[in-house]
Amino acid sequence: MSEEFLRLFEKWKKAKGFLVVGRGVRRVDALEKVLGEARYVEDYFFDGMLYVRLVKSTIPHGRIKKIDVSGALRLPGVVGVFTAKDIPGINQVGYALPDQPLLAEGKVRFHGEVVALVAAEGPDVAEEAARLVKVEYEPLPAVFDPLEAMNSKVLVHEEKGSNIAETTKVRKGDVEKGFEQADVIVENTYRTGHQDHVYLETEGAVAVPEPGRITVIGSIQYPHLCQTITSRVLGLDMAQVRIVQASVGGAFGGKDDMGPLVTAKAALVAYKTGRPAMLVYTREDSFTSHCKRDPSIIEYKSGATSDGKLTAIQVKIILDSGAYANRGPFVLWRATMHASGPYEVPNAKVDGFLVYTNKVFEGSFRGFGNPQIQFAAESQMDELAEKLGLDPVEIRLRNILKPGSLTITSQKLDHSVGIGEAVKKLAEVSDFKRKWAEYRKDGGVKRRGIGIACGWHGISTSRGVPDWSNAYINIYKDGSVVCGTGICEIGQGTHTAHAQIVSEVLGIPIEHIKIVGGTTDAPDTGATHASRGSSIGGIGIFVAAAKLRERVEKVAAKLLGCTPEEVEIRDGKAYCRGVPDKYIEWRDLVKKCYETGVEMSATGYFFLPKGTFDQERGQGFAYPAYSYVANVAEVEVDMETGQVKVLRVWPALAAGKILNPTLVEGQLEGAIAQGLGYALMEELVFKDGVILNANLTDYVIPTVEDVPEVMKPVYVEDLYQYGPFGAKGVGEMALIPTPAAIINAIYNATGVRIRELPATPEKLYFALKKARG
Amino acid sequence: MLPRFKYLRPKSFEEALELLDKYGEQAKLLAGGTDLIVKMKDDVVKPKYVIDLSRLEELKFISKEDGVIKIGALTTLREIETSPIIRENVHVLSDAVEKMASWQIRNLGTIGGNLCNASPAADTAPPLLVLEAELKLTSSEGERTVPIDQFFTGPGETILKNNELLTEIQIPIMSNHAGTAFLKLGRRFAHTLSIVSVATLVVVEDDVFKDVRIALGSVAPTPVRAKKTEDRFRGLSATKDVVEKNCVWVVEDVSPISDVRASAEYRKEMSIVLTKRALIEALDEVR
Repeated sequence: MSEEFLRLFEKWKKAKGFLVVGRGVRRVDALEKVLGEARYVEDYFFDGMLYVRLVKSTIPHGRIKKIDVSGALRLPGVVGVFTAKDIPGINQVGYALPDQPLLAEGKVRFHGEVVALVAAEGPDVAEEAARLVKVEYEPLPAVFDPLEAMNSKVLVHEEKGSNIAETTKVRKGDVEKGFEQADVIVENTYRTGHQDHVYLETEGAVAVPEPGRITVIGSIQYPHLCQTITSRVLGLDMAQVRIVQASVGGAFGGKDDMGPLVTAKAALVAYKTGRPAMLVYTREDSFTSHCKRDPSIIEYKSGATSDGKLTAIQVKIILDSGAYANRGPFVLWRATMHASGPYEVPNAKVDGFLVYTNKVFEGSFRGFGNPQIQFAAESQMDELAEKLGLDPVEIRLRNILKPGSLTITSQKLDHSVGIGEAVKKLAEVSDFKRKWAEYRKDGGVKRRGIGIACGWHGISTSRGVPDWSNAYINIYKDGSVVCGTGICEIGQGTHTAHAQIVSEVLGIPIEHIKIVGGTTDAPDTGATHASRGSSIGGIGIFVAAAKLRERVEKVAAKLLGCTPEEVEIRDGKAYCRGVPDKYIEWRDLVKKCYETGVEMSATGYFFLPKGTFDQERGQGFAYPAYSYVANVAEVEVDMETGQVKVLRVWPALAAGKILNPTLVEGQLEGAIAQGLGYALMEELVFKDGVILNANLTDYVIPTVEDVPEVMKPVYVEDLYQYGPFGAKGVGEMALIPTPAAIINAIYNATGVRIRELPATPEKLYFALKKARG
Repeated sequence: MLPRFKYLRPKSFEEALELLDKYGEQAKLLAGGTDLIVKMKDDVVKPKYVIDLSRLEELKFISKEDGVIKIGALTTLREIETSPIIRENVHVLSDAVEKMASWQIRNLGTIGGNLCNASPAADTAPPLLVLEAELKLTSSEGERTVPIDQFFTGPGETILKNNELLTEIQIPIMSNHAGTAFLKLGRRFAHTLSIVSVATLVVVEDDVFKDVRIALGSVAPTPVRAKKTEDRFRGLSATKDVVEKNCVWVVEDVSPISDVRASAEYRKEMSIVLTKRALIEALDEVR
């Protein structure tokens, strides 16, 4: 079956030029967003709508003895209070492991865990009632430190018998031998902290009961997953639950995980009361109760020969998963398989541990385990270079992956490996080598520094985990087109990229194409995560459009008196190649198709071919392809205060075809800002499992004064055989190497290396002071 | 969610004083609301009455007369930031204000509110301390004027009586030429609460420090003058070397705590660095 698709891919790859692909086409949703017409969850209102507020655990660990809702129910305007026992279906929402209830049952495992839902006629009454729900707990000893949790008698999940939720490994070659062959060895421990997504719009959903089904409008990333979980919680058929995305005010992975949890909660209230129900998390709820980026502890040992070739790595990764595994097993898997960085390493031993603690649970966040491990890997590369007397670019180029290379899972990379060229070009445009040599000799109070870091990111799901794409396209009688996809528009512009694909393949203007996305009314297209929305998500659209194009071409060929291969369609007109004065209007062509029995609808299902992975040996096929990235950061360090100003960042991408450079620049700039926050300032402060800075006063994120100038990107278009026009993935990429690039630049400026993120002014100040002696 | 309270909005200054006499003990005053409303939402304060002063137009002004700049307590931070009178005569105040919060919050927040909220991190306090401003406090019983360094008594605490209102900030314009500077260190480069803030004022005659004033925020229970350090400078030659040598003594004048924003140790060391830099900047201005 996949031969048909390969034929279509190959055919379009040979295109001599493109009409709209590769151009900075204006966003299809620009006008509605500029005019304030786009509707986010809170902009919806339905007659009789109830407001839902959360009752949250006030202790980090304990048994629920009693929930007294009588006081809340007595308050005028309160319609109901719902706890685990009110769930008609299954109270289980765990993603990777079945360990997580929608509403706490029997036990609470972190401070802020949702115990009950209060529904009332107005938001203030709901809030007041939530405070009147009295939950009686029997506190249990709690464990907060992941290292301690690994051997603790305190169990977050007693039935598991251990706090280790998951382990992973890679075994390639013989690391003992590898380290024997090494002339230099570098061994360090790295730590990274929590990161909150801080999307402008917090989590939310509004559920509306309808005859025979329930519709939920939510701030989400995967409607079909929301549908699966919501229907399971309610005990309904999936067909009885319809999920539609609202305009989404930022997601970054967090709403992939939280989407189903809020749609299920809103739907539960709507189902129990028969009334529309809106749940929107406050900013404090978002801080205390939504998943964060997993904190990590990474022990990393690297060896290299005197000519700078890596001989072995030995890595231990510990991820703090908080109270539930959620995506953790997949986050850990990704971190483990990417542990080498984008380099050839003949001998590798990597062990990963996902550990439960009594803190807020962790989950998906742009980069998905990779920012943590690339921070360690790319710090190690600079330390090896320092010991060997090489510059940071040189040591990377001596080990960089290229077509034909084997990864640490011994997967052969047969094509689409553009990282080497990207690094070379990046070093040139940033004048890296000269600056690097000059800045390290710098003195004075304010010192410049420059640093480079690379990253790689497997696209699609890992191993043999099934991944597919799909979409439908309807061409209406007037020639206008609707394309349905499950992929969500979460601010990144993916629906614009989708419209470009349809426009390119059918040869009609974008104004006549409407993308209907983020809905269970469209085919299941997989999640809008893993940088796959435009690329993997776009395959289904490409295939459906290419099928329709072939049908239309046949009709056009007859009318124009040429072969289908000679038909050209552009600007809504079909021509025979080389005959520019004779054409048929697209609208007439479509009419002809309708009259002559040609089907004007198509779907574009495509199942990604994958290999196998041996879990025992930690070897095999990890990902269908990788996107690659490298960043150069230039900083100025205030030696007296420890403040770091990131002046400029040069990004480079080897992510296949760049479908829309304007949208890609948006992703690069946003990812760099978010990576900068992670590297320099963002930090959750806990005391006994309670977050002390669950607010935007004391959880600080970068402002416009903090973000650097992002320079013109370097693109190496290393086309991927299954991507639409060869596209891979972009969304997460530039965040991944940003922390290491900044930390390496700080080292270049000061000679001091920070191994724990964030590198706050205070942390750097005391490190500088210590180095001065 | 805001707790329940009774909302009172006097239409005149006299009515405000009457309401204070009646409810002062159980009331909170609402000026810009940027501190009070947040504290109420967070359950930190639960006043029975909230007296909204926003209609008292007579407390919104900036004037200059007889060598004194007078600022009505309800003047917004944004109005201070953009006032030519402030910029031309006491720029150290507008320098501090423009680094506070965000434009939107400066549109609401008032100078009186910033002072009466009495946060150790109140950024208008250090400039007013080095300018030796005086505060006019009014009640139905009369008026009194106090030097600003006597106003703060602890975090969130001032000498204001329950029935008393801060009505005016008076800044004497110095006859001899003074150099001033304000510096602030936060966790990022904008929209940030101070870890340490420093205002300085220097007067130099015959290359000698005739007067040196240093005030710091976020390093003690209240904004403070570093008087011991100031005394060391008077009479010494006005050079960078002297500044670098003597600024270290500022740790004797501060008593910071550790919190989620910074450790006490870091605050101490940054007090020295910022004092040094702010003194040099003030010095550069007079030379």
